[in-house]
Amino acid sequence: MNICGCVVHTHPGAGADVAPRLAALPGVEVHAGTEADKLVITVEDTGESLAADTLGSLSRVPGVINAVLVYHYGGDEAAIPVA
Amino acid sequence: MTDTRPMSRRDFIKSQAAVAAASVAGVTLPASLLAKAQDQAADPDIRWDKAPCRFCGTGCSVLVGSKDGRVIASQGDPDAPVNRGLNCIKGYFLPKILYGQDRLTQPLLRKWNGKYDKDGDFEAVSWDEAFDVMAEHWKRALKRSMEENKGKSVDEMTSRVGMFGSGQWTVWEGYAASKLLKAGMRSNNLDPNARHCMASAVGAFIRAFGIDEPMGCYDDLEHADVFVLWGANMAEMHPILWSRLTDTRLSKPGCEVHVLSTFEHRCYELADNPIIFAPQTDLAILNYIANHIIQTEAYDKDFIDKHVQFETATTDIGYGLRPDHPLEQQAANPGVGAKHPSSFEAFARQVEPYTLEYVSELSGVPKENLLRLARAYADPKKKVSSYWTMGFNQHTRGVWVNGNLYNVHLLMGKISEPGNSPFSLTGQPSACGTAREVGTFAHRLPADLVVKKPEHRAFSEQVWKLPEGTLNGKVGYHAVLMHRMMKDGLMNCYWQLCNNNMQAAPNLNEESYPGWRNPDVFVTVSDPYPTVSAQAADLVLPTSMWVEKEGAYGNAERRTQFWREQTDAPGESKSDLWQIMEFSKRFTVEDVWPPALIETAPEYAGKTLYEILFANGEVDRFPYEGKVMDARGNAYRNHESEHFGYYVQKGLFEEYRKFNSGPDIIKKGHEMAPFQAYHESRGLRWPVIDGKETLWRFREGYDPHVAAFNPEVEKGDVYFYGNANGRANIIFAPYEPAAESPDAEYDLWLCTGRVLEHWHSGSMTRRVPELYRAVPDAVIYMSKDDAKARRLRDGQMALIKTRRGQIKARVETRGRNRPPNGLVFVPWFDANRLVNKLTLDATDPLSKETDYKKCACRVERV
Repeated sequence: MNICGCVVHTHPGAGADVAPRLAALPGVEVHAGTEADKLVITVEDTGESLAADTLGSLSRVPGVINAVLVYHYGGDEAAIPVA
Repeated sequence: MTDTRPMSRRDFIKSQAAVAAASVAGVTLPASLLAKAQDQAADPDIRWDKAPCRFCGTGCSVLVGSKDGRVIASQGDPDAPVNRGLNCIKGYFLPKILYGQDRLTQPLLRKWNGKYDKDGDFEAVSWDEAFDVMAEHWKRALKRSMEENKGKSVDEMTSRVGMFGSGQWTVWEGYAASKLLKAGMRSNNLDPNARHCMASAVGAFIRAFGIDEPMGCYDDLEHADVFVLWGANMAEMHPILWSRLTDTRLSKPGCEVHVLSTFEHRCYELADNPIIFAPQTDLAILNYIANHIIQTEAYDKDFIDKHVQFETATTDIGYGLRPDHPLEQQAANPGVGAKHPSSFEAFARQVEPYTLEYVSELSGVPKENLLRLARAYADPKKKVSSYWTMGFNQHTRGVWVNGNLYNVHLLMGKISEPGNSPFSLTGQPSACGTAREVGTFAHRLPADLVVKKPEHRAFSEQVWKLPEGTLNGKVGYHAVLMHRMMKDGLMNCYWQLCNNNMQAAPNLNEESYPGWRNPDVFVTVSDPYPTVSAQAADLVLPTSMWVEKEGAYGNAERRTQFWREQTDAPGESKSDLWQIMEFSKRFTVEDVWPPALIETAPEYAGKTLYEILFANGEVDRFPYEGKVMDARGNAYRNHESEHFGYYVQKGLFEEYRKFNSGPDIIKKGHEMAPFQAYHESRGLRWPVIDGKETLWRFREGYDPHVAAFNPEVEKGDVYFYGNANGRANIIFAPYEPAAESPDAEYDLWLCTGRVLEHWHSGSMTRRVPELYRAVPDAVIYMSKDDAKARRLRDGQMALIKTRRGQIKARVETRGRNRPPNGLVFVPWFDANRLVNKLTLDATDPLSKETDYKKCACRVERV
């Protein structure tokens, strides 16, 4: 199970346009940052795509200048409840 | 409405991931998500500790999360000055690289009927058997060398054993290897894969400044007004630095980015002045800029008068091929690096022919783009930072082209201050720290000393407690020469560690493979995985990688960073350090030194190389307490120290410091802090004086050496103390053509290089089953016109051929790399794409670095 936290830099003013494009990718959720043109997203494995593949495709999305990874969890037991 | 469902561990981790990303971006998260993350304390079972990333030369610090002896999480280190909490996509693979399905866990030896046989199949063997067989071959070769060296002076000594190391080695691995080969075995046949990567940069630093490595640092990324990329695809290769550059470009008014390459890549999305030039004409473009600066009288006369000296390079120097190659025969001065005194006036006359008209015609770059670039450098009010990697370095005139850029910066005095920075980026995490600073090249000793100079050898012999005259004074075989010598049967033992040279070296069909499979050669490969190299070897040794050992790397901005052993390696894997030290126990001094030399140090008679080199009262000086502790009370293993019985890494590092930080050192300017300081910091940039790092070298106020060398220096002025006269050299070098250019038969340029997908495709775990049956699924990036002219469609399989070999690959015309008509780009670091069957082993005659960027090819329908 892979879960990543990323920051995606967009062209100035393009944050709001890029956000839905990213959200359409498998396993991607956009959490914040559209006004700052720095989108805070999480990327996780889905049945159709591994997080690694999705990460690689981020920078090819129109309007994206750069995508960086901040956090990555790659343990096995992510489905187990916390409490 | 509050979500009352029990939060799954997955949701919890997701919220942690979002919080980490948001805090780095400086973005506020929605309250609901924040609440979710704050409901749970950080996972107490995960132990977090810092480690530099093991991929590129940027040197990002990563927090590594381990649980139950396994690395399960990573995070960009928020306290790291390099990456400030960011981590590039490649960082995703950091924990993964430890756990590939095909990790090697036992030594493997080619055997037939129970005995070693070069044509046998790999069988698992014990470390003892592996080292027994290996030592037998090495002893035989060393004996032959001793016989051949009888009656020769140290300046004429040759050796039949060699080692090929790595810019991914830890500092102490490189240091231990240098001791074993150069001090123990008296062989200078030690070279790193960094030879393929940055030897040209080194050559130019030494020629211009007399001391290696950049004067600036990454802080320039926030200070510059103009960025110029010369043959560096930072967006894909150095994404964190690219991210810092992007931030400056988008936030600083008037900031501009110029991007130069032979094909369009991702950096062009941010380019204000996009430039595609014909291969090799970067030499001419730089001379045009110098000419423009002189013609417009924009140069800094005061700076030139006080800090620069002019020289001119020997020209027509050949292409570093075998001496019987027609191109070497035709060259007037093959391999000659001598430079001659010159003057400003002579330099001005030499660059005068490089007019805007001529260079625009030669390079294919429109005049307005060239002019805009030249004006950016010539504007005294603009701070310019230039960056380059393989485009400059993998170049048959790599030393020259590096130097031509220094010429431009030096004419303007734009150097050694915030924002004004010619900066050579590196491709490997410790190409600087290990290959260059420790000096694991065929001509080097630690801290910029060289084997050729008797006083440098004498100093090294004293530090290493060796009798006078032990060290070999003849430059050994460099990377490309090693393969030629193996093919010719003149080097018979070869140990490759921490890299994949069978795949990486040029001209695989004609040099590398025949060399490795020569029946008179015994090849050992140490690697965590069954790479192309491992499969072409005779003995494969399983290696502990990255955080499976305690390590130290030095990045491109002179920053030395340490990490602790986080987790155990699988099976019987051991670090390269363990392997090198343990192997040294197999040799007595009588196996490697002639009786006359041993007589001068009778205390060494009968001793092993291990006793002489490592249990020498210095390396074994620091006790090992059974664990390594951090400041937070966490305990870590250290498998080498457990085995040898002392704190191995500390002993090696402190002995190494005698070369760069001792009171009697020959070359000042590489000072490092004591061992423990690096475990307690996010790295320090050398020279480290009184515990303080140096951001910009050669300038008073930043670099304490300046005033020490030149007490009369004015406040804030520069002094290039690497050269005895305190001046940097502007060295004229002309445009000379590439070794091989397209012609009627082979009508396209072939450029090779890397893409982000290299990591993405999992090449550390995907292997070709057999070397010569590589699956032909490489990608040929080419223009739509070129594809159409060859009746090729996007995605269609094609044959790419050169005079040396051919591979099949899929055509890609719509990818993010968009070559101009006349050039194709093929990635080379993928086991399924042995593009080095195609490349030519033409090297820069000065740096011996291969030009992987230019040869002639043809692409056909299959």
